[in-house]
Amino acid sequence: MPALSVNAALGNAGLLVMLIAATVGAMSTALAIVGGNRRAVRQAPTFAWLIAGGAVVAVVMMQRALFARDYSIDFVQQVGSSTTPWLYNIAAMWSALEGSILLWVVVLAGFTAAVARRFRDRSDDDLVGWALVVMYVVCAFFALVSFGPASPFAPGPAIPVGFDGPGPNPLLQNHILVLFHPPILYLGYVGFTVPFAFAMAALITGRVGEGWLLETRRWALFSWGFLTIGILLGGWWSYEVLGWSGVWAWDPVENASFLPWLTGTAYIHSVLVQQRRGMLRVWNLSLLVATFSLTILGTFITRSGIVNSVHAFAAGEVDGYLLGFFAVVVVVALGLIGWRGDRLRAPGQMDSPVSREGAFLANNVIFSVFAFIVLLGTVFPLLVEVFQDRQTVVGAPYFDRLSMPIGLVLLFLMAVAPVLPWRKASTELLRDRLFWPAWCGAGALAITVVFGADGWAPLVAFGLGGFAGGAAGRQIVLATRRQGWRGLVGRANGGMFVHLGVILIAMAIAASNSYTHSATLVLAQGEEVAWAGHTFEFVEIVDELDDRVDVARANILVDRSKVYGPAVTTYIRQGMTVPTPSVRTGFVKDVYLTIDGNSPPAAGADTVTLRVFVKPLILWLWIGGAIMAIGTVLSAVPSKRHRRATDATSAPLREAVDVG
Amino acid sequence: MTSASPMHHRLKRWPGWIALIFVAVGFLAVGSTRDTGPLDPGDRVDAISRRIACPVCDGESVYESRNPASEAIRSAVREAVASGTVDDDGIIADIADAYGAQVLLVPRATGFDALVWALPVTAGVIGVVALWFAFRRWREESALVGPAEEDDYRIVAAAREQLASDDD
Repeated sequence: MPALSVNAALGNAGLLVMLIAATVGAMSTALAIVGGNRRAVRQAPTFAWLIAGGAVVAVVMMQRALFARDYSIDFVQQVGSSTTPWLYNIAAMWSALEGSILLWVVVLAGFTAAVARRFRDRSDDDLVGWALVVMYVVCAFFALVSFGPASPFAPGPAIPVGFDGPGPNPLLQNHILVLFHPPILYLGYVGFTVPFAFAMAALITGRVGEGWLLETRRWALFSWGFLTIGILLGGWWSYEVLGWSGVWAWDPVENASFLPWLTGTAYIHSVLVQQRRGMLRVWNLSLLVATFSLTILGTFITRSGIVNSVHAFAAGEVDGYLLGFFAVVVVVALGLIGWRGDRLRAPGQMDSPVSREGAFLANNVIFSVFAFIVLLGTVFPLLVEVFQDRQTVVGAPYFDRLSMPIGLVLLFLMAVAPVLPWRKASTELLRDRLFWPAWCGAGALAITVVFGADGWAPLVAFGLGGFAGGAAGRQIVLATRRQGWRGLVGRANGGMFVHLGVILIAMAIAASNSYTHSATLVLAQGEEVAWAGHTFEFVEIVDELDDRVDVARANILVDRSKVYGPAVTTYIRQGMTVPTPSVRTGFVKDVYLTIDGNSPPAAGADTVTLRVFVKPLILWLWIGGAIMAIGTVLSAVPSKRHRRATDATSAPLREAVDVG
Repeated sequence: MTSASPMHHRLKRWPGWIALIFVAVGFLAVGSTRDTGPLDPGDRVDAISRRIACPVCDGESVYESRNPASEAIRSAVREAVASGTVDDDGIIADIADAYGAQVLLVPRATGFDALVWALPVTAGVIGVVALWFAFRRWREESALVGPAEEDDYRIVAAAREQLASDDD
């Protein structure tokens, strides 16, 4: 066994500091609050700095080990290589399980420190104190996993002189997006720990009013925004790297990120009902618990290898820990909700289903059913195996078939909900407010039919998309007319931009799912082949070789205007070939070229077989994602200079009646 | 919107909506029923191969996979499509007979597998019924509270005045 390196020693020390600080912090803060030791309560944030410090040291040491190719460490033996370019060497940290957990650890430590800093003036407050306790418990769990079963610093087996590792999985070292997709996704995943911690603190302290919601509104919003962007970047990576021209395969790992997104989306909507009307307290708490626990369950499902996944880059032995923690989270959270049941009873009533709050409720039911379907489809093969002892798969067509009607209903709700007033809407009001949005829908339908779209489902989607876009546009126009630039910010107005982004994404999905065409073309050198309104001419095969990869690129002249180069890259260390597509991107459609089969074309070959896809409107997925990100930021900007007393946080109905 | 002309206002009443329904239904009918010609054989092969799992790789469809086993299935599908005698479901059933039911990406609606279809529908129904009960309960509760009275309006008006003076 090689001698323990400085990197491993300091890295382990960092994790140990984090583990001890989190454990001691959780226990001492909890005891101090219970015992009324105010001085000790005020010390609580100090532990956050130790936690963050420990995590940062561990990550710095891991990066240093990867850069120094410190092969005394097992993890570096698995994912390190002297030939990996430095950018991908940074990303090598999250290319396998242990490093992924380390990334989780450092993001979690960062959030914990951010909470401690944000609430540093209120560390005396029991709500903040308990929230920190919950954060520390979660930190302690992940530090324990990272220090124990998923240790990235575990010493590796003896290695021969001159050993060089294989580097990360080839799929994780051929596109720049691997540098951004996992960290951004984790910012979303882990960020939901903050609202969850405050929700638990609210239950423990019994202050289950709207205070904790207001404190964590932006935390939830930003986590949701990062989760959204992280998921979309994953889709983009899939499109640019995997070569089957798809962005979403309903793979278990993708579903694991989508599940908390669904419950998180339900939460950021229904929380508005609680802020405005003081209702749905139990429901909102349950959604937060679901969101947080689904991040843990999702990690368990995908990392334990119990469900097969094409993304299973990382499998390990942390499943028992994750499953145990998931069970603890669910039991404790539900126990607390049950314990505080009497205080959670909402004081108000909803007057009519045709109202803003009614629409939010309908939205919540649909998102919850959607989450249930995704979870069921993901774990169903496991259930079949347990009960019937046979193998089965639940694939993309199942999810596509069930998500289509859900998507249409959500588009309809997005069209109607923004114009609905709180409490109750009259027919006349709806007729007035929905008139022009509905005509936008009819216009969108007409335009798509004129341009040749067919099939009832995509046409209904385009029509409803136009309707929803009209409704969002109407809100933005009215708000800016009334408030000037302030009409662009705030949760309602920013939310409308998010809706516009979602609508663009829905349209892009409807179009690309319904109207993608593909063909396998055999091209002889110098010969031009016409297909789907485009011409393709095989120019030559170019071979580029270095000590890491051998790239065989087929240069194809598309539409006699520009040469595109789909390639097959052979990763010499791993002996693995990865086809890399080449895409002509456009606002109306993409032309996606990839070399058919897995083997690289021979240099000097006079024919090449291509898979060609023509995919409409794909670019609008990414544009929609950018608009969603901008909308999320706009939602977080306060829309008013100060809160008005009429923005009731709880319905004061009973008090008013009592006084009356 | 409040400054809309009477003409604008009239338009938004039923005539405008009826016109809208005619336009929308008309375009939808034209778009969804028109004959766009026979489906390209390549597109049909794609549609079928999306519904079949690669028998040797984890979780990928034959459409996505570049594995030789998937390539073999793809060419079997291509031949079946070219023969033109069997419909999509028939081709998939033949492949499932040859490779086993675990290559079906869309679970069957029979036996235990039917649960994967029935449970989502049940969840949806439960959601709708729960909403219906919730609104019924709220309606009953608000009936107990009774309509707002003179005093309630006075309290609200006083609060608004207070607020307006605070703002000034």
